[in-house]
Amino acid sequence: MSLLGLAARDGRTKGREVNLLEVKELKVHFPVQRGWFGRNRDYLKAVDGVSFTIAAGETLGLVGESGCGKTTLGRAVVRLIEPTSGRILFDGEDITEMRRSKLRLRRRHFQMIFQDPYGSLDPHQTINQILGEALAVHKAFRHPVNRRNRAEELLRAVGLDPGCLLRYPHEFSGGQRQRIGIARALAVEPRLIVGDEPVSALDASVQAQIINLLSDLQRERGLAYLFIAHDLAVVEHISRRTIVMYLGKIVELADAKTLCRAPKHPYTQALISAVPVIGPDSRHKRILLSGEVPSPVNPPPGCPFHPRCPIAEARCRLEPPVLRETAPGHLAACHLAK
Amino acid sequence: MALLEIKNLQIEFEVGGVVRRAVDRLSLSVEPGETVCLVGESGCGKSVTALSIARLLPSPPARYSGGQIWLNGREVLCMARGQLRKIRGAVVSYVFQNPAASLHPAFRIGSQIKESLRLHRPREASEFEVVRLLKWVGIPAPELRRNDYPHQLSGGLQQRAMIALALASRPKLLVADEPTTALDVTIQAQILELLHTLKGTLGMSILLITHNLGIVGGMADRVAVMYAGRIVESAPALDLLRRPLHPYSRALIQSVPRLGNHEQRLVAIPGQVPSLDAMPAGCRFHPRCSQVQPDCAGKAPVLIEVETQHWVRCPYWALRPATGEPKDAK
Repeated sequence: MSLLGLAARDGRTKGREVNLLEVKELKVHFPVQRGWFGRNRDYLKAVDGVSFTIAAGETLGLVGESGCGKTTLGRAVVRLIEPTSGRILFDGEDITEMRRSKLRLRRRHFQMIFQDPYGSLDPHQTINQILGEALAVHKAFRHPVNRRNRAEELLRAVGLDPGCLLRYPHEFSGGQRQRIGIARALAVEPRLIVGDEPVSALDASVQAQIINLLSDLQRERGLAYLFIAHDLAVVEHISRRTIVMYLGKIVELADAKTLCRAPKHPYTQALISAVPVIGPDSRHKRILLSGEVPSPVNPPPGCPFHPRCPIAEARCRLEPPVLRETAPGHLAACHLAK
Repeated sequence: MALLEIKNLQIEFEVGGVVRRAVDRLSLSVEPGETVCLVGESGCGKSVTALSIARLLPSPPARYSGGQIWLNGREVLCMARGQLRKIRGAVVSYVFQNPAASLHPAFRIGSQIKESLRLHRPREASEFEVVRLLKWVGIPAPELRRNDYPHQLSGGLQQRAMIALALASRPKLLVADEPTTALDVTIQAQILELLHTLKGTLGMSILLITHNLGIVGGMADRVAVMYAGRIVESAPALDLLRRPLHPYSRALIQSVPRLGNHEQRLVAIPGQVPSLDAMPAGCRFHPRCSQVQPDCAGKAPVLIEVETQHWVRCPYWALRPATGEPKDAK
């Protein structure tokens, strides 16, 4: 661990490519009270031992159905939710137990974009104030005039008219608000942006605009993304590697194209076959999963996916599978994956 | 005779003295046993159209300022309240996007279904029939689940309960307004499969309202694409998906990322859907259209039948070779 840390720090100083973000065995458990006066404490294991890395300038996609823990993971990574255990290294530096004041300085480097473009902008603030606040908090541009120039520059970068700085969020459409959210995240020149379903609330034609914008910004600024979404097609389009989560655990991690072309985990296979395809024969070749995602408070023993798995065997009910490398760079947590 | 025939429907909303037209001279028909998809982005008027079929829009502010809606051989817009009550449920039922908001939170789902049975099929209003309906829509252990309150069910099960409730009255037409938008893809696949099977067993028609072109291919017989209050293209589903002719349908199909399609950039439609108070003159899509012609801003195009049953609201539909066929679709 210390060796790894050293290597990473070394890499930073020499400017070699190093993992920008490294997450090790991250767990987020929420206490759920049960019984009389909450005497029996259960834990909802929203994220249960997740490890991954993101290189500088890379996009890592994260897909899963609702309740699989993808949002919790995204928030825990930037410590908007405190992890229960595990380690988060940003640029080689451990931020898991960093003091709030210090963490705030580091947050400049990792920002977040949220799903709901209506809920994530303060309706009482003008766009100038919204962007200015981000700049002020991070003491990036102290002088108000500089700040104003910076805000205009940001709006131009996300394809909005700088003239609308004095308008309020309600005057914008959903797609435009999402652009404002992106501008706010960009304000402090972060190196990593965690996007929690940033395009899910948008209409198809606008969604494509925002996806293209995110790709352009990445190319221009060398940003790394942790891109969380439930839409596999969107994730495949934007990411280099993709993680599939189920009940708080990673079930598969692979190169984005490989994952969609040759998925190894039966859950990924079902997920891909359920994606609606525009075309005349979109109802064929579907693997219909029976049942629904079980409760994460009481996950099934053995492989958490076995009750819905079409190929489950006896040992799947007993032994939890480990995430193992089935091909170079392709990890799957399934006893039967080859 | 068509089960549902909407002719030149116009719907306006009057708020604070300003009249905004949400649906403009819309015509649409659904034959018995047919599934028709109405596709469009938010704000294009598709839900308003759906609600108007049973005259469910609150009026005021809504106003039916023109056209006719023929449902099962009778005109809906001139019906009296008592007549409306008779068609709601009995002829047309609805399934909405958010089942949690559509089910009554304070009643057990079994009793909600039974209430509908008592109203529409009083002779069969029994616990037995309730259980049978719940079993039909694939709710596990229906004898126990009928005693659940809506909040005790997951989203997918709530939507199944909602479908059971809608079908309890044995409607001839089921209007499903974005029935799977709030659900995960694996659950979405289950619900669509269920709707498809039930349609077969009950011999009803479905009007499916959606923004997701991906679910059209497996469900619909015919598709109508709406943009800014007007139908811009309508055709048999396979025709439209293989060869979309209107520039908007074409762009909409191209703008959706597809699995296994490794194009570097998505073809985005520039700009945004116009708001109701600032509708562009002439063709409403012209400010965003990639093949706009000088006179597009001048005169409003009409729907023309370019092939049998394939209607397009664009005089320049033939300008570019139709390349709507997704490269990877087999």
